[in-house]
Amino acid sequence: MSRRSGWQRLGLGLAVAVLLTFAAFPLLWMGLTALKPSAEIFAWPPRLLPEAPTLSNIGRLFEQTHFVTYFKNSVIVSSAAVLLTLLLAVPGAYGLTRYRFFGREMIAATVLFTYMFAPIMIIIPFYIVMRTLGLANTHMALVLAYCAFSLPFALWMLRTFFQSIPIDLEEAAMTDGASRFRAVIHVVIPMALPGIIATGILTFILAWNDYIFARILISSDNLKTLPVGIADLYNASVVDWGMIMASGLLVIIPVVIVFSYVQKFLVAGWGSGGVKG
Amino acid sequence: MQTRGLPGLLLVLPALLLLVTLTLYPVGYGFWLSLHAKHSLFPTQTFVGLDNYLYLLSDPEFWESLRIGLIYSVSTIVLQLVLGVAAALLLHQSFFGRNIVRGLVLFPYMIPTVVAVILWKWMLNNQFGLINFGLVSLGISDEPINWFGRSYIMISLILVSVWQFFPFVLLAVLARLQSIPTELYDAARVDGAGPVARFLYVTLPQLASVLFITILLRSIWMFTKFDTVWLMTQGGGAERYIRTMPVYAYLRTFNYYEAGMGSAVAIVMFFMLVGAATTYFFLFRGEDQS
Amino acid sequence: MKAQTLRLRMTAGLLGCAVAMALAGTATAQPVKTVRVWHTETNPASQKAVAEIVKRFEATRPGVKIEAEALAWNDLEGKIMAALAAGSPPELSHGQPVTCAALLSQKLLLPIDDVVKAIGESNIWEHYKKLCFADGKWYGLVHASGTSLMIYRKDLAKKQGIEPPKTWDDFVKIAEKLTIDENKDGKPEIYGLTMPGDNLFINILVGEMMAANGGKLFDARNRPLFESKQMLETLEYWKRLAKFMPPGWEGHGYLDTFANLYGQKAAMMYAGFGRGASLIEQYAPENMRNTDTYDVWRKPHGPSGTAPASQVDEETWMLFKGSANPELAKEFLAFFYKDENYVEYIKSVPIHFFPITKSLRNSAEYRDIPMVKRWASWLQVQQEDLDKDQARPTLIIDWEDLTNKPYLLQILGSGVLRDMVLDVAVEGKPAAEAAKRGQQRAEQIVRQAGAAKW
Repeated sequence: MSRRSGWQRLGLGLAVAVLLTFAAFPLLWMGLTALKPSAEIFAWPPRLLPEAPTLSNIGRLFEQTHFVTYFKNSVIVSSAAVLLTLLLAVPGAYGLTRYRFFGREMIAATVLFTYMFAPIMIIIPFYIVMRTLGLANTHMALVLAYCAFSLPFALWMLRTFFQSIPIDLEEAAMTDGASRFRAVIHVVIPMALPGIIATGILTFILAWNDYIFARILISSDNLKTLPVGIADLYNASVVDWGMIMASGLLVIIPVVIVFSYVQKFLVAGWGSGGVKG
Repeated sequence: MQTRGLPGLLLVLPALLLLVTLTLYPVGYGFWLSLHAKHSLFPTQTFVGLDNYLYLLSDPEFWESLRIGLIYSVSTIVLQLVLGVAAALLLHQSFFGRNIVRGLVLFPYMIPTVVAVILWKWMLNNQFGLINFGLVSLGISDEPINWFGRSYIMISLILVSVWQFFPFVLLAVLARLQSIPTELYDAARVDGAGPVARFLYVTLPQLASVLFITILLRSIWMFTKFDTVWLMTQGGGAERYIRTMPVYAYLRTFNYYEAGMGSAVAIVMFFMLVGAATTYFFLFRGEDQS
Repeated sequence: MKAQTLRLRMTAGLLGCAVAMALAGTATAQPVKTVRVWHTETNPASQKAVAEIVKRFEATRPGVKIEAEALAWNDLEGKIMAALAAGSPPELSHGQPVTCAALLSQKLLLPIDDVVKAIGESNIWEHYKKLCFADGKWYGLVHASGTSLMIYRKDLAKKQGIEPPKTWDDFVKIAEKLTIDENKDGKPEIYGLTMPGDNLFINILVGEMMAANGGKLFDARNRPLFESKQMLETLEYWKRLAKFMPPGWEGHGYLDTFANLYGQKAAMMYAGFGRGASLIEQYAPENMRNTDTYDVWRKPHGPSGTAPASQVDEETWMLFKGSANPELAKEFLAFFYKDENYVEYIKSVPIHFFPITKSLRNSAEYRDIPMVKRWASWLQVQQEDLDKDQARPTLIIDWEDLTNKPYLLQILGSGVLRDMVLDVAVEGKPAAEAAKRGQQRAEQIVRQAGAAKW
């Protein structure tokens, strides 16, 4: 790959620049707007860089809203959703891969069909279920909702990962006297780790981004999550763009940190699930 | 060796139980509702059999929502696939700062939809938006475009959706690309294959399995996509011109107060997807498993 | 690899903590009595005022927690539906008068006579007594009201010697005159009029235009009158006005139209409200933040009508049957309307929030609110509409409609009227064709609601 002509390098550079502009420029603009005083936000013609950068938008965000609470709630709910999903999906996917039983393929396919009912139409009956379980207006309700929406995807994805792990490895461990459980913990799980992490991240993103379930299921201000808190800013009869952009910026930062920490696993993980044919 | 029997079922059971309680009940409830006439706010309902479905057959709004829904989902799926695959091939090349670029390009998928839509509404704003400024000052358009009016709102919506979701495709494909053994390319080179031939005969077949599941998931998700579309119309935005099927189902339930009719729309969508997915499985799954 | 394992263990540990916290949140049942209050005033100032009143109330009632939540209209409806379906409605919620009437017809509400007694029935302006009232009992009490206003650029009108419009014809001429294209490039710098393309606001406008044109939306047997002469005239009126509105207006939301006004892109606003005064004070150039620049007219009437009509934005507080603590909710509501608390709320958007109590409206404290002084002419027009009984809630033409026509809610939500207007004013269809289609859809909605008696 190292022998590229000048033209090729230029072409590659240009293509990367275009892609980067499309994907990341809006976020740059958001970040810059968040740092502008309101007079500059509405300035015409718009200027790229803030002339007098300010943290007042961020300050107002902490003053006027319960941003820290929303943030904490989002972290709690999303992490819990990830853990619950993995706890259910890892054994489930293993069972669907390594055991042969009646209706296995049916179960796998049906699971995917639960995606085909428009999620928006599930909300009211879902609320009824939560109410019956005594979980209305709790974080647990959100965790269950996100888990339910991640499970089909997680089962399918993890299944392809388990399929790609040669069964001989487990068998070898078991002949050495390890129980099946120990063989799974020490041999299979470490090998499937990238896939497990990738699944976890996608579940996290789903939970972190959800607006509608949080809106309907949660009433108490101290239980609300970030997307709901941000939408409230936008619904206000005066739209404070600076503050909204600041909130967007603050929402992204932790995701970026988490992501840069685990991205190696994610990218390495996903594809290897497909290595099977 | 695949062990026979019960332990496997027991392992899936917890996941299955959770899914059944949490999604099958709501779906069943939706089906039951679709056979009734029910005011969304009131506690009573009357059984009407298949009347709601029969009404939809002759309901121009329903057919319009199907048309708009198809335009939206097909175009966004195609665009995000093309863009996602192209971007993955590009980011598979080695160049300086590749890891940072990879991280940055994935951002759009990471931010909450609420933030994504608000951000684009700000950029596309009629009066203060950066995009209109760019278009006018570059002479591409001689006056600001109203991105949320009749003629442009679908384009704006597609733009935002593709921006938001192409990283999903990118991620899936990029990961798979990394695990294609380089020997395959070397062998192809020895056989005298050019870059296009190498893409067609080496890369594409290797990507088949990941593309299979990605296309399936993205199609389902785009066809049932609600939040991005709905949020585009909040606080301005000509809703009528992007009223896709999930939005129509929502409107029937929450704005027309006809819970039964809303559910009927959702059930019709459900069966359309089941039909499409089954056909898709039938056509492509065999190939994938070979 | 070891470091990685460690990091993974730490991550897993953190996740575990999160689950524990989520579960703990579930486990700690609140030892206090909670009153849920859902309202639609999402602007920060009003939310702050509500929070302040809540704080004061909680100070007098230890062990009681008021959980106030401000929601956009659509979200509120969704939450009410889910809560009712699950049998756990909030104690109090805002609702449009038509919503209140619909819920009342199904006996889903509790009377709030105790609150009225605490305020003193004679202390409430006559106008507010007609809403959500049945069998001699009160079921809804307006939180505050504001009528729709025709806001115009007084400075521009003066320059051209424009008189207040009496009829729609007058108004179309004014819209033409105030569409200003100084450099004659065919693209006006200032458009004569800005209107929202938003469903709710088109409904508001069509409702009041029909009233101002002497028409009705439904006959006594609930048959829609969408093909009537008055409706066709209304649709034609939109078409004529659309020529003087900025292109792409159908994509403008309510706040966009205000932005057009204070951003000097438009000279008049048909669906203006008192809230605009606050926006003008915040965003218009400094020398324009006054009634010499932005003033209001009473609205013109149509060719088949004789008198102006406007819409009154007045959600009522509703108390739900089956909620946990209705008695406490009534106590809170009575507390809310006490002059010293109520004034905090009114002050948050003073020109939009007309107090419903005489005691507050006549008090020095109210009259001394700086904005009330600055925008007196805006309040005067609203007062006149209310006093002459020419203001009605959305889609209500006769007061009886509130109780006779429970399907108005569906008509509003369905967007039938909005689609008729867009068909004519944007798609360029003939009014008769759009009306015919609207008529069919509306008939189906009335039938579906089981109210068709024709």
